[in-house]
Amino acid sequence: MSEGRPVLIDADVMLGRHPRRDVGGGTVPELLAAMDRVGVAEAVVGSMTSWLHDPARGNRELLGLVAGQPRLRPCWVMLPDTCGETGSATGFADAAVEAGVAAVRAFPREHNYDLASADTAAMLDAIASVRLPLLVDAGQTTWRTVETLALAHPGLRIVVGGVGYRMLRQIAGVLDRTDHVSIGLADLSSHRGLEWLATRFGAGRLVFGTGAPYRDPAEAVTRLMWSELGEAEVAAVGAGNLRRLLRREVRAA
Amino acid sequence: MNELTTALWARRPQQATRIVDAHAHAGPYSVFFIPDPDPAGMIEVMDRCGVAHAVLSSHLAIQLDAAQGNAATAAVVDRAPDRFTGYLTVNPWQDPVAELGRWGDDPRFGGVKLHPDLHEYPLTGARYAPVWEYAELTGRPVLTHTFSGSPYNDLPMVDEIAGRHPRATILAGHSGVTPLGIDASIEVAERHERVILEVCGSFNTGADIARMVRRLGAHRVVYGSDFPFIDLRMSLGRILFSDLSDDDRAAVLGGTITALLGKPEA
Repeated sequence: MSEGRPVLIDADVMLGRHPRRDVGGGTVPELLAAMDRVGVAEAVVGSMTSWLHDPARGNRELLGLVAGQPRLRPCWVMLPDTCGETGSATGFADAAVEAGVAAVRAFPREHNYDLASADTAAMLDAIASVRLPLLVDAGQTTWRTVETLALAHPGLRIVVGGVGYRMLRQIAGVLDRTDHVSIGLADLSSHRGLEWLATRFGAGRLVFGTGAPYRDPAEAVTRLMWSELGEAEVAAVGAGNLRRLLRREVRAA
Repeated sequence: MNELTTALWARRPQQATRIVDAHAHAGPYSVFFIPDPDPAGMIEVMDRCGVAHAVLSSHLAIQLDAAQGNAATAAVVDRAPDRFTGYLTVNPWQDPVAELGRWGDDPRFGGVKLHPDLHEYPLTGARYAPVWEYAELTGRPVLTHTFSGSPYNDLPMVDEIAGRHPRATILAGHSGVTPLGIDASIEVAERHERVILEVCGSFNTGADIARMVRRLGAHRVVYGSDFPFIDLRMSLGRILFSDLSDDDRAAVLGGTITALLGKPEA
């Protein structure tokens, strides 16, 4: 990374192939090359297998893929513990901590569960108790659900990504009424939306992410670097805010 | 690193290339909130990045009223003629002949904008006939919205209309949007030399754009952003970092659309 450049840590990356778009092989070397191409230093990375096939297997395999990769930290995919697919809620959270998992991602729409129902309460409590942030794309849930979650689990830090360009009315309401909901930069594409959100809610509510490889990471990099934010805000959005979210505290016994 | 990405990392406007945005709008849009959608705010974003010029149709024209909206587009160009050129919007339900008659020779407009999806009317429909006649007569480009799978502006309809009107220059807006649409748009453009691919949208990538250039040449691919519908920087970034030669990148970013807008009458 060149001296003087803002550090970028990508909270929204996947390894693996995608069944409905040519994203290449989805390998670690390909991801690292893509990060180098657009100047991303580090990434919190999930698994296409966890998303699009088998969360338990994908989570397990992901640890092997990122082992020995100092620029990559794993992100597991959660399910409700109703069927025991990823173990009990506390078992999942403890295993995640033990494995060095940095964050947890949810796909409630595609995995067919309600993120704000009693089915997921134990899992979300367990994730919050070990202070792992929850990442979810806007297309996987509703803003009402995000708000319900934030109010029901006040210790849970939630990052909503993939918000597109049509959602500022809903985003503004939820950010107004909650404290621990942040917005990811992957496809945060409202005209001047990044600046508007930073002005209204503070740059601390914004977290860099690209959505790669499904999305071109150049979008988010260019959006942030040519933004109208000041240098300190760019540093916070590019890396500082995510580092703060990833800073875990030891769970009280 | 190219000169544009060097400027990006320095967080200063690029000056290496004359960038022309071939797909822009202006003004508010009821479906969602747009911070600062007016031309002054658009120029601020253009200046932030080093975008010289944009070709636009007002949101009023495409969303509600072509007559009022075309007047709004002309007014935007009047206020900043060095920064903006207009697309004359034709809504098939709102007297296309009158709009073409009123604005067709006006130098503030450089081409025609069609949005079949918004107007729920097929690109191949008879109400658009005056547009194709105008396009073939003047050589001015027609930017049409395209979207893979749409009943109104899917790529096979671009294929059909380009076959019917081989002298019309058609900018395929968004290049079909989806991965499937992007593939289809390339295939249509390979069959029709006056079909030009415009690359804004929510799913395009720099790899897709590089593939378009490899298959068609940079003289057949143009940068557009859709701003202020979508932020200008999203589409721009894909091209900045794409695997293109400097010459091809410059053509996609501005050279190709500039040549098309300056095209002499056929």
